[in-house]
Amino acid sequence: MSAQQFIQTVIGGLAIGCIYSLIALGISMIIRATEILHFAQGEIMMIGAMTGLSALWMADLPFVLVLAIGMIGGGVAAVAIELSVYRTLRSLRVPLINIVVSTLGVSLILQNVARLVWGSEPLRFPNLFAKHGIDVYGFAVSPQLIWIVVLGFAMMVLLQLFFRHTRLGVAMQAAAQDPEAAQLMGISVRRTTTFTFLIAGVMAGAAGVLLGSLFFASFNMGFLTGIKAFVAATIGGLGSLTGAMLGGLIFGLIETLAGTFISTAYKDAIGMALLIGVLLLAPSGILIRVGRKI
Amino acid sequence: MKSAAARVLVLGGFLAVPFVQTNGYWQHVFCVALIGVILALGLQLLAGMAGLLSLGQAAFYGIGAYVSAALTLRFGVPFLFAFILAGVAAAVCSLLLVPIVRLPGSSLAVATLGFNIIIYLVLLNEDWATGGSFGIMNVPAPRILGYAFNSERAMYFLCLFVAAVVYLAMERLVHSRFGRALRAISQDEDAARACGISINLYKSKCFLVAAFTAGIAGSLYAHQARYINPYDFTFNKSIEILIMVVVGGLGSMPGAVAGALIVVLAPEYLRSSGELRLILFGALVVVLMGFSRGGVAGLVPALGQQLMRFRPSRPVKATSSGEPQ
Repeated sequence: MSAQQFIQTVIGGLAIGCIYSLIALGISMIIRATEILHFAQGEIMMIGAMTGLSALWMADLPFVLVLAIGMIGGGVAAVAIELSVYRTLRSLRVPLINIVVSTLGVSLILQNVARLVWGSEPLRFPNLFAKHGIDVYGFAVSPQLIWIVVLGFAMMVLLQLFFRHTRLGVAMQAAAQDPEAAQLMGISVRRTTTFTFLIAGVMAGAAGVLLGSLFFASFNMGFLTGIKAFVAATIGGLGSLTGAMLGGLIFGLIETLAGTFISTAYKDAIGMALLIGVLLLAPSGILIRVGRKI
Repeated sequence: MKSAAARVLVLGGFLAVPFVQTNGYWQHVFCVALIGVILALGLQLLAGMAGLLSLGQAAFYGIGAYVSAALTLRFGVPFLFAFILAGVAAAVCSLLLVPIVRLPGSSLAVATLGFNIIIYLVLLNEDWATGGSFGIMNVPAPRILGYAFNSERAMYFLCLFVAAVVYLAMERLVHSRFGRALRAISQDEDAARACGISINLYKSKCFLVAAFTAGIAGSLYAHQARYINPYDFTFNKSIEILIMVVVGGLGSMPGAVAGALIVVLAPEYLRSSGELRLILFGALVVVLMGFSRGGVAGLVPALGQQLMRFRPSRPVKATSSGEPQ
């Protein structure tokens, strides 16, 4: 394999990793704020991809706008589910495991609603990017992959800034760390929880458009991707945002490299073995020990 | 005494099913439901009793099915031995999980899910042993002491027998020293350790028993469906088993039975609604989750209480306090 191909593979892995990171971030945020293992996160991503694609069908939009529409789609879907299902369940004071299983029910509903609306065939995104490679230090790299990596990183940086430097972001962190104390300080935990789902949905929606433009969009694109993002979040340490980002990037890279160099059939198995290996060495993931800080 | 009467009634009901419903397809569905019952009972021990959220039960189910099918088909092993060996093989494979049983709740769930995916990929890709994506065809019908379980009805009774035995065994287990230790672990690990319970040993044993149960369920499935392929044993199946247990009510063995019946039969009854089927099923799961704290098993006593309003009501337990969610 030439250096050219190797660079392509690494950047491809980083791009996939960015997509996993965006979904894993949402999963980790939701776990921190509510302890819910959100199995429907992959479906939110799928909704993001589908709304972005539908917008593209209606008008010939530039990629950034498609991305924005996908983000809105994901955010709206996540908030709608939080308000209608999870909040109701929480107010009924059911055990946590019931809410976790309800996310599986939600995932089933979203998949099949999407199948009714958008059909069961995989849908291809129109080509949004220049076809010829960009020259980076003498290596030709697909512009699409560069876009995904740049946009993915930009979103993660924005999220970090949001959590550190805005009132709402700090309130959300406080509510996640100690809901009761936060409530005493005048933070509405219900509101921060809704915002958590909103941001998680927006991130997932962005991931959906990026993933859809890379491969294709279909009603069942979400579940396995969601599970992999779960694994990525667990590798990074469930509940740690930096961990989720790192976990996603590592998982994407390992998966792509393993698929290229070891075995295509077993690339998922290698990812899972990595997960189990990491958990054996550090049972709470690689980053949780740094502290509970986001 | 009351419970003995209830049991005879329930068993009678189950025995009557293939005589009331003579349609072959439905008998097949009920058979699948009974296999689901066995799977749910196994996970109930893990999740309901020991509080171990496992999403890898379908891996053991698959191992059991493949071992049983391969042994009877390729080596001519009698069904009874293959059936036991299927359980044993699954149990032996569960030893692979020993290092990860100490993981905290959600990490354990994701790790067992990862294990499930690995096993599924092995079943899918090792063509020489598993037939790859084509699976194993023409698995023989079970034959015990010269009697062949050829018809759906005979198969139903075989599954019912196994399910009943597993149920009784689980019940014995729950009320044994082992079961008490598991409940202690699920309530407070540190306190249980202080009482001299070896946490990891008990958790591993629990995985072992649950894997054996899933393995024999897999054997029944292989010989009932007569054809297996890797797609029957994806993590979706594991998730389905989890839904069974939680719908039925965590920690209740009758609940596991009810949950399995609901999860297998509801989509079949909803078949007439065509494309809406899975949407309705998902909605059913969501609604059931909100209905009652203890799943269906908690719903029945609650309804009973509603009906028996004329009795002096028992003091309501302080359920509305605590658990800031």
